[in-house]
Amino acid sequence: MIVTAQKPLDEILDSISPYSNILIAGCDGCTQPPRGLREAKTLSQLLELGGRLRDRNFAFKVTTVVKQCDSFLTASALKPQVDDVDAVLSLACGAGVQTVAELFPDLAVLPAQNTHFIGVEDREGGILEERCVGCGDCLLVLTGGICPVTRCAKGLLNGACGGARNGKCEMNPAKDCAWELIFQRLAKQDKLDLIREFRPPRNYQLKAWRLTP
Amino acid sequence: MSQQVAEQKAAVKLNEEYCSRCSICRSLCPFEAITKDAETKKVLLEIEKCQVCGICYSACPARAIDIIYYDCGFLINYLEKEKRKYNSDTLVIMCRGSAPDFSGIERLFGVSKFIPLSVPCVGRIPEELLLQAIAMGIKEIYILACDEDYCRFDRGSLITGRRVLALNQLLEQLGYGKEAITLKRHSLKVKPDTDLCISCGNCAFYCPYDAAKLDSPGGAKFDLDSCRGCGLCVAMCPAIALDLENWERERISTLLSKLLSEMKPPKILVFRCQWAVFPPLDCLPFSPNIGTIDLPCAARVDTFHLLEAFQKGVDGVLVAVCPEDDCKLEKGSWWAKHLVATLGERLKQIGFQDRLHFCTVAVRYPEEFDRELRQFSQRIEAIGSKKEGK
Repeated sequence: MIVTAQKPLDEILDSISPYSNILIAGCDGCTQPPRGLREAKTLSQLLELGGRLRDRNFAFKVTTVVKQCDSFLTASALKPQVDDVDAVLSLACGAGVQTVAELFPDLAVLPAQNTHFIGVEDREGGILEERCVGCGDCLLVLTGGICPVTRCAKGLLNGACGGARNGKCEMNPAKDCAWELIFQRLAKQDKLDLIREFRPPRNYQLKAWRLTP
Repeated sequence: MSQQVAEQKAAVKLNEEYCSRCSICRSLCPFEAITKDAETKKVLLEIEKCQVCGICYSACPARAIDIIYYDCGFLINYLEKEKRKYNSDTLVIMCRGSAPDFSGIERLFGVSKFIPLSVPCVGRIPEELLLQAIAMGIKEIYILACDEDYCRFDRGSLITGRRVLALNQLLEQLGYGKEAITLKRHSLKVKPDTDLCISCGNCAFYCPYDAAKLDSPGGAKFDLDSCRGCGLCVAMCPAIALDLENWERERISTLLSKLLSEMKPPKILVFRCQWAVFPPLDCLPFSPNIGTIDLPCAARVDTFHLLEAFQKGVDGVLVAVCPEDDCKLEKGSWWAKHLVATLGERLKQIGFQDRLHFCTVAVRYPEEFDRELRQFSQRIEAIGSKKEGK
């Protein structure tokens, strides 16, 4: 899932200040924590209150889209709702914001989130952690399902670096050394020969910017 | 000395002089708050464990237990007054935990004109009150208890069931006919709208009772038998796809607007857990600038309504819920604290700090809530009633 964080409300208030009629569009897709109808509604309430203290009266409409990064779904959900608005405030990740921006060239399309990474959610611990950079050359088959590109501070493809202490990363002692995790897992699966396999430097050309399904 | 003061302020008191040491209270207490000293045989009340359900009070044959809220004498006076007001000889006693609105009561019992008596747990109603009511000329008594496994005080509903059974036998012998007292059980549960579900799994994760499941396509599924109606899933659903029977979003919004139209500035709205504060029955507002909305549990504290209150011109919002260890449901108080803190951070960003306050108050110490409310009122007055939207 795509992990995002709320922008500070001050920053959003600044960005919407030239506009009066604003559609807040949630995204029910993979943004975490969920930024659906409730968050759209909550944000409209907060911005209205913030506007009052700044002597501004905004008119908000709220809606949500199944997946804002899908231009077909976004067009069908938002087109009937944008006639009387002059800006769309999107609760989606950067991809969703850009989908909306492309669909409505005459409208101001503003982000309400900072997009951080593709990650996983540990609900019990309330933690969201990066797991994938979309490198285009997945090597999880060689590393026991543990990604060193995201989880090794140095992004080493041929680890470990030797700097780990008690299984913890020398860059950040709060983090496990990804290569030690890989070693342990491969050892458990009796596949330690994989760790000897040489992995050439990443080919950044594979980080494709356009694909056809 | 300080112990004495604490004792005076507690909502339940065991009067040693009258105690016959029969231990009935100890055997009925759902919270093991009553013990018996092995040597002296004295019955002791550990007030810190007491949740003020009133079961011990209603069961004590020696009337050795004093309770601040809804004691028998108070209830009888109240009944006499209400009997004249409603001009009815039908009495409906209901538990606040599971009672629907009056139209729901009408449907459940098939009565249209009745004297309503809503108490926190029907387990606190002693036989004496029911007999006095009949002596007063009340012809029909209906009791609405929670489903047994829904009872917030564990045994209140069960004990009421036994009491009604025994009383009905007695009344039949006296010639009052069969089933003079009618008992029904009811619970208030989640109302999911599957069309709005986005399959995010929040309800399945947050539900303390495993009543929500997201293990097949087509949205979350609810096992209503397991649902205990705390409302946490409702507060956490990002798609606004859930509601709670009798505590629907719309109903709370309507009540909120009504209260605000009657209040005077600086307006203070209190959202409170119905188990944290037991208000007096004739529930007059404390002062013209304070309004209260009772919720089924802290878990139903919804940021939506807190913000709605500010939008509609409230100057301060106080959230008063049970201490974490006293929560009648699971972690409702804990989540409410978390939600209110998160909202508080966001309110700070737009300049609304200090207008939202979260506190925990225990029903066993009735003065705690009054103190919190007084302090918060002073704070809001100090900030001054800013006129918004001028």
